Amino acid sequence: MATGSGDEFEEFSLGREFTLSHDTRHRILKFGEYLSAAVLVLVGAFPHYWMVQNAFKSRQAILEGISLLPLGGSFTLDHYQVIFRGDVATYIVNSVIVTIGTIVMVSIISLIAGYGLARFNFKRKVAFARFLLLGYMFSPIVLALPLYLIWDTIGLLNTHIGLIIALSAISMPFAVWLMWKYIQTIPQSMEESAWMSGAPRWRGFVDIILPQTKPAMIANSLFAFAIAWNDFTFAQILLPANEATTLPPGLLRLVHSSYQTGFGDFMAVGFLMTFPAMLFAYFLQSYMLEGFQIRSL
Amino acid sequence: MAHRMATEEIESYEGGEPILREGFTIGGVRITPDDIWGGLSVLPVFLLYLIIALIPIGFAIVASFHQIPLTAPEWTFVGVQNYIDVLRIDRFWGSLWRGIIFMTGSTLFQTAVGVWMALVLNRGLRGEKILSTLVFTAYLTPTIIVTLIGLFLFDPFVGLLHKIGTDLGLWSSYVFGSKTWAMPMVILIGSWKFSSFITLFTLAQLRSIPTRFYEAAKMSGATTWEMFRDITYPRIRGALLVSVMLRGIFMFNKYDLIWQLTQGGPGYATTTLPILAYRETFQGSAYGFGNAIAVVMFLTLAIGGVGYLYAFNPSEEVET
Repeated sequence: MATGSGDEFEEFSLGREFTLSHDTRHRILKFGEYLSAAVLVLVGAFPHYWMVQNAFKSRQAILEGISLLPLGGSFTLDHYQVIFRGDVATYIVNSVIVTIGTIVMVSIISLIAGYGLARFNFKRKVAFARFLLLGYMFSPIVLALPLYLIWDTIGLLNTHIGLIIALSAISMPFAVWLMWKYIQTIPQSMEESAWMSGAPRWRGFVDIILPQTKPAMIANSLFAFAIAWNDFTFAQILLPANEATTLPPGLLRLVHSSYQTGFGDFMAVGFLMTFPAMLFAYFLQSYMLEGFQIRSL
Repeated sequence: MAHRMATEEIESYEGGEPILREGFTIGGVRITPDDIWGGLSVLPVFLLYLIIALIPIGFAIVASFHQIPLTAPEWTFVGVQNYIDVLRIDRFWGSLWRGIIFMTGSTLFQTAVGVWMALVLNRGLRGEKILSTLVFTAYLTPTIIVTLIGLFLFDPFVGLLHKIGTDLGLWSSYVFGSKTWAMPMVILIGSWKFSSFITLFTLAQLRSIPTRFYEAAKMSGATTWEMFRDITYPRIRGALLVSVMLRGIFMFNKYDLIWQLTQGGPGYATTTLPILAYRETFQGSAYGFGNAIAVVMFLTLAIGGVGYLYAFNPSEEVET
């Protein structure tokens, strides 16, 4: 804890008889801040830097030894061909379908439930909302083991929809609570004035509530993306067939089975898979933060 | 918000008698239109929970009383035999112990790093956006990518960190094949990604503290430490307790990270309960037995969770 070092120093000097001058304390604090930031940048950015630079380095150059940049003859785009090779192309398509499906399903279901919780005063409402929080305790492995045989029996094993509903369910506790809390911040009087002028309830919902939930919708979509794009456990167990599976379990299969696929290829796929995450992290970070803020209202 | 809801409830039940507006009665229970529409609106979520959680957990409990070879799913009722076996084998107790080490180590480390990052990010330094982008990217980077980079960096032939560690004399062979290093490395690599979760939680809380509090404190001559102790900490404590509990739960249940890095090896050195359940089910082909482990895992977690809530009671401070 580099910022802490300055703070602890001050604890010694409590009582103020022996106090460092304000300037000195200020300088120590500033030093701690910048040191912390530097360590953060180094540790946070290094793995990505290593991935990206090796994604552009020829297989030969990677095997020859450690180098910091793909300079001169070692620069190559060959690794990106891996995404057109049979298996990886299938995994990418499957991952995209599952991720989009999960985002759509989470957005719609959490919007409806959030509206219901915020605007209808029904029995056992708060108890139900608390019950939803139990979802945080659901372990993918605990649920996926029984789901494996259940899906096998009813024919959902190796289907996209089977995985999409599983991933939507574990996204629910966060998504529904966020939507509920968010819609509570929209004044009901806006809807009421629409009803006064004769609009049916659903028009008020579509015309007044829906456009205003945009920040919450974006936050929910981001977290659904994070869960679906990242999911390994459910996909590995519920999509055992090679042609049905998604990128995370698919890539691990390649790690274990194929000697043709080198680290350069994996870093190239990794870069492509992380790229959307980087874009979202840069452009949509305020929505993620807002999501957590509203959630804890 | 809770306060407003409570007053609304009281208003509609004024004078002991519910004000009769609309609706009908079934068996002495009045069903209002709000009950119908509200119930319908949460029906899809409830169905999801039913299909993905409630039925599977029931199914797992039933399956755990049977012997079911995965290759030829024929159910033979064996009573509590699976549970007796679970509690008798050393693999279970060893995995429980390693799971606790993995959970506690990960959670403590992630909390320390996560809070520190949040505090640094909240100082309004130059280039803050770059810094926070890094943190958010870590959160959104898929685990498989984190582990692939980890496997690359520690590769015995071309790995940078493997080489650095070897030069420093820390290790001489593959770290994920070493009983000493496998567990600490799995914890560290996981923390690279998951510390950002604590940062998100804490930062959201820090941003909601009005700056006038700090201005007032500065006017009266408070030091940075005093401001942290008296203004910042009391306001992030509740969110912190909740996020620590969530991280504990998630790490206890963590399967993907460990499986991708070590498959529970070398031997059983990184086998925690989720890994054991998977190994017994799909490698040992004992489906009933694997489900028994899953049920025991769920119960352990429930007991641990209730104990944590009882000890710290975070709901007193944040309404969750």
